[in-house]
Amino acid sequence: MGTKLKLSGADMLMRALYDEGVELIFGYPGGAALHIYDAIFRQDKIEHILVRHEQGATHAADGYARSTGKPGVVLVTSGPGATNAITGIATAFMDSIPMVVISGQVASHLIGTDAFQETDMIGVSRPVVKHSYCVFDANEIPKIVKEAFHVATTGRPGPVVIDIPKDMTAPENLFEYEYPEKANIRSYNPPIEPDSNQVERAVTELINAQRPVIYAGGGAILSNAKDELFRLNEILDAPVTNTLMGLGIYPATHYRFLGMLGMHGTYQANMAMHNADLIIAVGARFDDRITNNPSKFSPGAKVIHLDVDHSSVSKIIEANVAVFGQVKNSLSAIINQLERKLDQYNKDKLQPWHEQIKNWKSSHGLNYELYKDESDENPILPQAVVQHVYNITEGKAYVTSDVGQHQMFAAQYYHFDEPRKWINSGSMGTMGFGLPAAMGVKFAFPNEEVLCITGEGSIQMCIQELSTCLQYNLPIKIININNEALGMVKQWQDMNYGGRHSQSTYQNSLPDFVKLAESYGHVGIKVEKNSELKSSLEKAFSMKDRLVFVDIYVDPSEHVYPMLIANHSLEDMWLSKDKKT
Amino acid sequence: MIKRKLILIMENKPGALVRVVGLFHQRGYNIESLHVDPVDDFTPYKFIEDQLETKFKQNEISRLTIQTLVSDSLMRQILRQLNKLIDVIAVSNEKTTYLKGVLLDENLL
Repeated sequence: MGTKLKLSGADMLMRALYDEGVELIFGYPGGAALHIYDAIFRQDKIEHILVRHEQGATHAADGYARSTGKPGVVLVTSGPGATNAITGIATAFMDSIPMVVISGQVASHLIGTDAFQETDMIGVSRPVVKHSYCVFDANEIPKIVKEAFHVATTGRPGPVVIDIPKDMTAPENLFEYEYPEKANIRSYNPPIEPDSNQVERAVTELINAQRPVIYAGGGAILSNAKDELFRLNEILDAPVTNTLMGLGIYPATHYRFLGMLGMHGTYQANMAMHNADLIIAVGARFDDRITNNPSKFSPGAKVIHLDVDHSSVSKIIEANVAVFGQVKNSLSAIINQLERKLDQYNKDKLQPWHEQIKNWKSSHGLNYELYKDESDENPILPQAVVQHVYNITEGKAYVTSDVGQHQMFAAQYYHFDEPRKWINSGSMGTMGFGLPAAMGVKFAFPNEEVLCITGEGSIQMCIQELSTCLQYNLPIKIININNEALGMVKQWQDMNYGGRHSQSTYQNSLPDFVKLAESYGHVGIKVEKNSELKSSLEKAFSMKDRLVFVDIYVDPSEHVYPMLIANHSLEDMWLSKDKKT
Repeated sequence: MIKRKLILIMENKPGALVRVVGLFHQRGYNIESLHVDPVDDFTPYKFIEDQLETKFKQNEISRLTIQTLVSDSLMRQILRQLNKLIDVIAVSNEKTTYLKGVLLDENLL
């Protein structure tokens, strides 16, 4: 037996992160985390990225996690460091993104005394974490790190907080270090393999369906189920729709793809869901942006629901067949059964259904005519911006977005053929997400094109990260769809509040984004005319080693359509400002 | 709305109780009464030990009794959400027990 390594709490933490396979930490130092920061200085295996605000650290770790599938890691100090991280933790929680957040805490003997920069991080974060740990005994640091990563990455993933009082990381106290081979939590046992009876029932429903729709969401991406989903539909030949979170899990350019569904989904996707006789929900959870009024949702459809989380099934829409397990494994099991019963399955019976969908698509598909006329008399349309970006990047870029109209235009007009390339805050809808998330993606994929489609409202919520981009030389392309207003708020005010634009415009107080980008050492380009749009974007994307901020002034009156009419069914949509179904 | 009794078996760890109570508060379910005790007689919970392939030790687990006013439709959702909490080992109402994703006919009442 060799002598065991003796390390301080801080060194054990760094060593445990290394043993867990962590390559990058996004963070910001401060008093309670200083022992840990000294341990970072004294090692060279893990790179620490210094952000400019703790919210940026969490979103960057989130972007890293969404694009790679590996957990993102964040390190912040106590008090304001911890609370600043909350928005990013909640964002990851709502979209089930694996993340481990380590927060410094005041020393054990000071907890509860209102010490300087003390906040109850475990309490503050409790509603927005999958689980959390406070270190009461430094000996437990390796075990807690192992468990935290296990909980964050398995089952339905999510953020886990480890709160570490400063005395637990003190350099003078040494402990025997040993990293556990595996986490053993008897009260945590997420399902992996599905129940074979449920799989059989699912297969029977699939064989009998006349109007099936596959409805795949973020859970399918988290489970890396792309190949299985594709294989399943090679057999079924059913129409497929993706949620906002699921874009890319089924190739958008495939002829069976209906586009996104829901609030701003395509006409054909919403119509198909409403009129289906069988919905195959794959890692999707019937969110309120999908169902509209649940009591009017898809009246004639049976539901097969594949999910890893029991509490997501039959929560909003009752499932006829519930298949619990890793979505990837559940799909494999279904494919397996189906392949043995191929003689009972006849693709041709879906022909009338495909005809119906074709008619829907041709009558009210996304309106490309809108921006055919790109003369300078007309303002630039935001849809055209996304379309040009899609063409220039050949649909291959990693695209992050913020929240609002630009996010919906990006989801509608950038057609993702691969999962993990569309990085956006779906459930939480966090403005300020896009730029730091793009940083996280760029760190993970330095040789890939990474762009952030944003608006002048969202980008200002985490604009300070332009400085981080300079420090680490991150040549991200920022596409700022500038309509000089909080566009989605304004759209709702136009539609539901008699056009009263309460607090949704800035009265000529926007910064000069070109100068702003330049002051951070980047390139800024301003675009105001249709005739300049394509060439300016091409120029931006040709500068491979520079961050380019493209500030594009678009038609401020443009709305996002289709749009579901509140409290109705999925059939009820606004198709333009004056036309509804 | 009917008054219902729930029994939870959970790890006796700091923060476990507040997660349970927090879940009720966050979802707007009102708690009528709450009682928590460390468990020292494990005989009634042998089926849990068998299922989880574990042996409980003294002071390791707590038994929590909650009475709450909820509708039928919410009951299943509450059970599932409580069962999802990492420190909760099993949740039971009059009819069924959720034991870390496994639904059993036994109940803990």
